[in-house]
Amino acid sequence: MTDPFPRVTGVILKGNRKLRSIDWAVVRSWDNKELSLKLEESVLQPHARLDTELWLARQIMDKQIVDMDGRRVVRVNDLQLSQVEGSLLLVGVDIGTRGLARRVGLEGLGRRLTSMAGRDWPQKLISWEAVDPVKSDVNSVKLRIAHTKLAKLHPADIADIVNELSPEDRSAVFAALDDEKAADTLEEIDEPQMQASILERLDLERASDILEAMAPDEVADLLADMPPERAQELLQKMEDDEAEDVEELLNYREDTAGGLMTTEYVAVQHTLTASQAIDRLRELEPDAESVYYVYVVDEEEHLLGVLSLRDLIVVKPETMIRDFMIKNVISVGLDASPRDIGEVMEKYNLLAVPVVDEPNRIQGIVTVDDVMERVMPGRVGQRRRRIF
Amino acid sequence: MVGPGIITGTVDNDATGVTGYALAGSQFGYDLLWVLIVTAICLAAIQEMVARMGTVTGKGLSDLIRERFGVAPTLAVMALLFLANAATTVAEFAGIAGPAQLLFGEAARYIAIPIAAFIVWFLVLRGSFRLVERLLLLLSLAFISYIISAFLAHPDWGQVARHTVIPTFHLTAPFLLIFVTIVGTTITPWMAFFQQSNVADKGLHPDDLPLERVDTYTGILALNLVAFFIIVATGATIFAHHVHVDPADPSAFAKIATSLTPLAGKYAEQLFAFGLLNASLMAASVLPLSTTYAITEAFGWERGIDKSFREAPAFITIYTTMIVLGAVIALIPGAPLALITNLPNILNGVMLPLLLPILMLLANDKRVMGRYANTRLFNVFSTLVLIFLSLMTVMFLASFFIPKLFS
Repeated sequence: MTDPFPRVTGVILKGNRKLRSIDWAVVRSWDNKELSLKLEESVLQPHARLDTELWLARQIMDKQIVDMDGRRVVRVNDLQLSQVEGSLLLVGVDIGTRGLARRVGLEGLGRRLTSMAGRDWPQKLISWEAVDPVKSDVNSVKLRIAHTKLAKLHPADIADIVNELSPEDRSAVFAALDDEKAADTLEEIDEPQMQASILERLDLERASDILEAMAPDEVADLLADMPPERAQELLQKMEDDEAEDVEELLNYREDTAGGLMTTEYVAVQHTLTASQAIDRLRELEPDAESVYYVYVVDEEEHLLGVLSLRDLIVVKPETMIRDFMIKNVISVGLDASPRDIGEVMEKYNLLAVPVVDEPNRIQGIVTVDDVMERVMPGRVGQRRRRIF
Repeated sequence: MVGPGIITGTVDNDATGVTGYALAGSQFGYDLLWVLIVTAICLAAIQEMVARMGTVTGKGLSDLIRERFGVAPTLAVMALLFLANAATTVAEFAGIAGPAQLLFGEAARYIAIPIAAFIVWFLVLRGSFRLVERLLLLLSLAFISYIISAFLAHPDWGQVARHTVIPTFHLTAPFLLIFVTIVGTTITPWMAFFQQSNVADKGLHPDDLPLERVDTYTGILALNLVAFFIIVATGATIFAHHVHVDPADPSAFAKIATSLTPLAGKYAEQLFAFGLLNASLMAASVLPLSTTYAITEAFGWERGIDKSFREAPAFITIYTTMIVLGAVIALIPGAPLALITNLPNILNGVMLPLLLPILMLLANDKRVMGRYANTRLFNVFSTLVLIFLSLMTVMFLASFFIPKLFS
């Protein structure tokens, strides 16, 4: 599934003036200083090198990068590796001065200096997808893009890379980008939760600067996925004009299913059995009000069916949930009004209704008390708790 | 037609070189002629290695250093090279000022240096390198005047031959100083970078190796022949007539110029100044160029003198910066000239013993050189060269920082 980015298959160790290679599989953990192995040194088997494998230090690192037109661009200053689901992937090449500084151990100093000068020191990465080491000889690394397009390529390109990174690396990449580029890149990332988690790891000042550079509706979507307190803080930090736009959007959204819904709902994969689903519930420890229904989804969160807790308990434990779930799920769109939602709930006698987006992916649920507050304001003497 | 070796050799006869040889002949007659054999051997070893690497790999020296040793050593080498070559460029522009003042009077330097800087910059970037090369070689014909002068002065050829083959050594401060200066100005790191970039740029094939060797040795021979005749010409005139030349004295230039009297008569000063001017101009154009090639190779930036600023911004920027920097520093009134002429020698001297092991490691690397790697005999030979040059550096540094040592 991570095809475009090659996997690290082995490590070459240097000792006693001899080189030996070992499989990456025997590496237990590693950091900047140490590589620890799962096995004793005496039982290590040499890694059989294949012709299709690249020796990064020799064949990629420090090599000349040539663009599509054969023009020299720069050298490979560093490599961006990233841990994704247990494997280490080569996600890109670093062509910036930061990569150079890192190689000589001066990146920290450089960052301090640039931040003292109030400047960003952007990381310049090229996604491995844009790199073509196969067609080139071992002397140089060829790009699949023209030199002039290099700068334009970045945001989407970086977004690709970011998608593959661990949370720490992601924030590191973002910390390095300038505001404009960070904003563009953030917009390129499709998952709101990932966007939010990136922003949460940045400091407040910086995060609000990036938000200002983004489109207000994107910001609204993004803030909606953040803890309310943090979102409130960010809004206050933002320039007044920008913040107003965003708040307007947020207010407008409040009158729709999208604004009303909570993301606290229980969803399980359709491939589970009843007992596995119950185990999953134990792990999730859902709140009382969100466990009215158990929704069934596929890998991409498409809403497939619904179950009640009672259903789960009374069937035989090994029954597949997709075999007994209710397939005709009543749902509402993101832009449904409170009145519409209320009517749906009343008609089908529901305690909660799932909210789905255009391709029918579940986004959240609206519970009955949320709608009641909205449809009959003041009845209980309280307004819906305003998030913003 | 004309190879990189000959160009490199010709350019090495720069202002400091010519002055050094002339001082050697003026002060010690033929005593230092044998040193030229030694420098020729050292140069042959170093330049053959880089010519071979350039031919076999098609890459410049910086390319190879970066790919083989990584970022940190490359940065260190580039910083030293930039400093040494920038200092040498300043010295070359200062070298333009000397003859200009000799020809046109005191104020000439403030006109001559900016004009020279512009000519150098314009010719290289807006002309073609072929044109520059031909012009350089044409101008270097001025050196023939020393050969003719040497013959017209009727030296004792038996003495000349004896001193060329049998080493003479005086353990005195002036002798040692001129000895290390000659070695220092003749054997420089930039020559290695310049020749390899030039060879790589020409796109030679390993089959061309024999021809490239001939080119390299011819260049060194031409370089040392000129040096030889400068020493003979000055030795047969100034030294033979017991004229005392003190390098620190401003009149030294005029005195040295009289060595050309046998050829040029009363125009000896003009001819000498013209030769020196050419030498400086050549070096002032080639040194920044060589440095720029080396740095852009190290970082993989687009390069080439036929490229526009849009195509190769780093290349044009570095080249222009070096020329402007060199000219401006040389223009500063009351600039410490002694330091300016000595700084390049110090930096080059420090760099050479560091660079030579790097050259040897590269030339021995089978992955880089394949069957063209150094032979064992060649390694023994170049190790001796390294030891000799390191000794020279230590001596030079000692003479500069502890002047009392030699007196």
